[in-house]
Amino acid sequence: MTTVLAVCVAVLVTVSIYLMLSRELKSVAMGVFVLGHGANLAIIAMSGSPVLPGGGLRNPPILGSSDLVDALPQALILTAIVINFAVMGFLLTLLIVTARRTGTLNVDELATLGRSNPGPEGDDR
Amino acid sequence: MCPVMMASPILVLLAVGAPVLAGLASMVLPGRRTLARPLVAAVGPVLALVLLTIHLQRHGLSTNGTPTDALAWVPSLHLDVSFLVDGLGTFFALLIAGVGVLVVLYSRAFFGPDDTALARFLPTLGFFTSAMLGIVLADHLLLTVLFWEMTSISSFLLIGWDRDDPEAGRRALQAFVTTGLGGLSLLGGVLLLGGTTDLWRWSEVIGGAATLDPSGAVAASFALMFAGAAAKSAQWPLHDWLPGAMRAPTPVSAYLHSATMVKAGVFLVGRMLPVFGVLAAWVPLVTAIGTSTMILGAVLALRQHDLKRIFAYTTVSQLGLLIATYGMGGATTSHGDPAIDWDLTQIANHALYKAPLFLVAGALGVLAGAKRLPDLFGLWRRSRSGTRASLLVLLLAGYALAGGPGTLSFVAKELFFDAVRHAADGRPVLALVGAGGVIAAACNVAIFVRLATTILGRGPGLRSDEAPNAPTNSGPITDRWSILLWLPAALLVALQYVGGLLPPVWNAAARPLEVNRHAEAFADGLPWPWEPFLHPGLPLLLSAIAIVGGTALGLSPRLRGERIDPHSGLWPAAYRGILRGGHRAFHSVQTGHLRLYLTVVFGALLLGIGWAAWINPDMLSTPDSMSPLESPTGLLLGAVVCSTAIALPLVEERVVRVLVLGASGFAVVGLYILYQAPDLALTQLMFEIISVILFLLVLRLLPPLDRRPQVRVLPRLALASVVGLSIGWMTLLAGHAAEQRASDTPTLGTFFEDHSLEGSVITNGRGGEGRNIVNVILVDFRGFDTLGEITVLATAALGVWSMLPSRRWLRDEPVQSATTEDGP
Repeated sequence: MTTVLAVCVAVLVTVSIYLMLSRELKSVAMGVFVLGHGANLAIIAMSGSPVLPGGGLRNPPILGSSDLVDALPQALILTAIVINFAVMGFLLTLLIVTARRTGTLNVDELATLGRSNPGPEGDDR
Repeated sequence: MCPVMMASPILVLLAVGAPVLAGLASMVLPGRRTLARPLVAAVGPVLALVLLTIHLQRHGLSTNGTPTDALAWVPSLHLDVSFLVDGLGTFFALLIAGVGVLVVLYSRAFFGPDDTALARFLPTLGFFTSAMLGIVLADHLLLTVLFWEMTSISSFLLIGWDRDDPEAGRRALQAFVTTGLGGLSLLGGVLLLGGTTDLWRWSEVIGGAATLDPSGAVAASFALMFAGAAAKSAQWPLHDWLPGAMRAPTPVSAYLHSATMVKAGVFLVGRMLPVFGVLAAWVPLVTAIGTSTMILGAVLALRQHDLKRIFAYTTVSQLGLLIATYGMGGATTSHGDPAIDWDLTQIANHALYKAPLFLVAGALGVLAGAKRLPDLFGLWRRSRSGTRASLLVLLLAGYALAGGPGTLSFVAKELFFDAVRHAADGRPVLALVGAGGVIAAACNVAIFVRLATTILGRGPGLRSDEAPNAPTNSGPITDRWSILLWLPAALLVALQYVGGLLPPVWNAAARPLEVNRHAEAFADGLPWPWEPFLHPGLPLLLSAIAIVGGTALGLSPRLRGERIDPHSGLWPAAYRGILRGGHRAFHSVQTGHLRLYLTVVFGALLLGIGWAAWINPDMLSTPDSMSPLESPTGLLLGAVVCSTAIALPLVEERVVRVLVLGASGFAVVGLYILYQAPDLALTQLMFEIISVILFLLVLRLLPPLDRRPQVRVLPRLALASVVGLSIGWMTLLAGHAAEQRASDTPTLGTFFEDHSLEGSVITNGRGGEGRNIVNVILVDFRGFDTLGEITVLATAALGVWSMLPSRRWLRDEPVQSATTEDGP
């Protein structure tokens, strides 16, 4: 099971970075969300495979039965999901504001927008 | 006073704090109080003197190496408040507090009836006085650094006193950066010394000096600390800040930049002498820097016309002489330790003529509008009593500057040449220091000769109110307290003549503090003024050469014009270079291109992973058992996750793209279910639904997809897949390690499992009282973490809300018309 998860993580991270390196801010935002999924899956892989050697599954981390899966990665991911969501909301708002203010979501064009303001010169004061 | 107050550290702490407290008290006096303010501020240094005297009577002088009492401050950092009241420190403290009282009184006359200036000036001066007292009395090394930085800050404030003068601001910055960098160097040296030897107090370091390993870290810390001292004491090639600091008001120049602050470096070198004097580098480094500064300063002083600049360069020269004197201390010993005889008298000598020179130079500016040598021409004949008194003090102090017979300065020169003779016994090359001393002394004599001939010369016969360059708008601001313009200077210069003409008085005062006075010629104290002439020797001969040569030089028409110090270009060039370099560095890193930033971030990640794999090659070996087929459901879900993810960049229709993104997320939810994480699955499902809806809504508000050619695919794909594969590989290793772990290995997971319901000894018997372990972790074990998470959520919500203040622009036209809509 860990192998499957590792492949999923590899694909998700690859796709997310590929998207983030694109010229479209929308794609960059999508890349950020996909990266969240990849990271969460990487964390849950650390609880080991839920499949028992005999073929059955371990039990969810609720007291009362034996062979529980590790609860800690789950707790960490729960926090991560919520924060991921917060980041997404913020990013989407940024997208809207950027598009409205500048009329473009092209990363390269946005980078050259700031160029009109000259930086501080080597003045004594 | 109660016994607690009489404890050594508290007493000294009170003495150190008194000036700044008095300064603050003088500030809060209500109304116009031009006389009360200086009087209240003067209480501070006076109180410091009284408390130090009480301390001396109660506890005596501490001798080197005896442990000192301390107040705990930050014990975990070895930091405590401890003071070392030894001869060197006490002498400096008395000098600082004594001159401090006089400068406070002088500032009343200098600023005249300008009450707001006094209210602003006196607390700053008090702050400086306290910081300076702290430096010379601190026992803890870090305490020294702390006070050292405080003097840099107060010096910055005082040099930039005139807020309307941009040049003053620039000079303040130069002084601050130069001495501040020196302070950093000192801090580095102190940390290195304390870290390697675990000795954090001067008393311990001096006591354990014999046990120090004179190589490696100790030598390096000496070099760093000496660099700090050299920057503070304006040694070549960092001296340019001191003449620049003359932009400050004259009380500041007299106090900080002649008598006290610049002496902090000399003091530090004196402190370091017993510790580092045995190092091979001490004598060559310290004497070479000191001697070159001494000669350079003297020659440059000759080529100035501005009074304060003349005295500034002679100060540079004299500081070089003092540093060189301590440098020679490494070659002479007293009781087996490196030491220099009568060092304190040397230092006092300089303060006792240089401070009066500055004070009177400021007084002449106020009284006669004369700030430059040409303004002084014939001033004696055309001036009234107040100005004449100032001129008389100027001549008396100038005579001391020249080291004429009958002054303390003359004896100090004898001491200096005597020290050179002793040091040169072992190391003949040190005779060069003596040669430098003759040159510097000759220049000082020439300056005095020129001052005297200018002042007493026959002037153009102007009345004082028509003096050239007199400020036309204001005129001299004088009142009955103008006597304070020259009286403090007269008191100081009188001590010069006491030391020169009545040596028994000086000896009685200086003996308790002068620990080192073993030179045979001066073992019984300073001589009567005629004694050197009864027993002429090499020192007298050198003094005579200096006086005769200097007089000839002073009267000759040569070397009279103004010259600019060739080093004065260093600072502006360095400053511009730093600004330009920073600007260039900023713009080469902060290009504004997101792709560059991401490439750097992921490249650094790859480097980190690669480094880890390099030091632990086991990371690259394949785990033993890889069974992807153990769960068909898992395989299916994984295939959905992968295929939807790969489809994401390929789909161009944006609505479909969002749906594909959602599909990928739902497959991840399936994986959570398979991994027996019901809470995760539920939460993710909820947020995934909201996300898809939100995304679809937002898409409506965004411009359509840019159809223009994308960034080149291959480099993107290469970077992305390398990072992706590395992270995937890490995941495989981590998951595999978790599987291979023996079931009885204690992990954090099993801890939470054991304590979720009931507690144990580890948790003081308290458990989480819950059966759902994940929930218990979130709200109990890691409750603060969850609080942080809620904070993040709230902050994001606030951010969204603040960016969409009124949604007006969602309905109307864009707020700012898009100029780049069509793009290049």
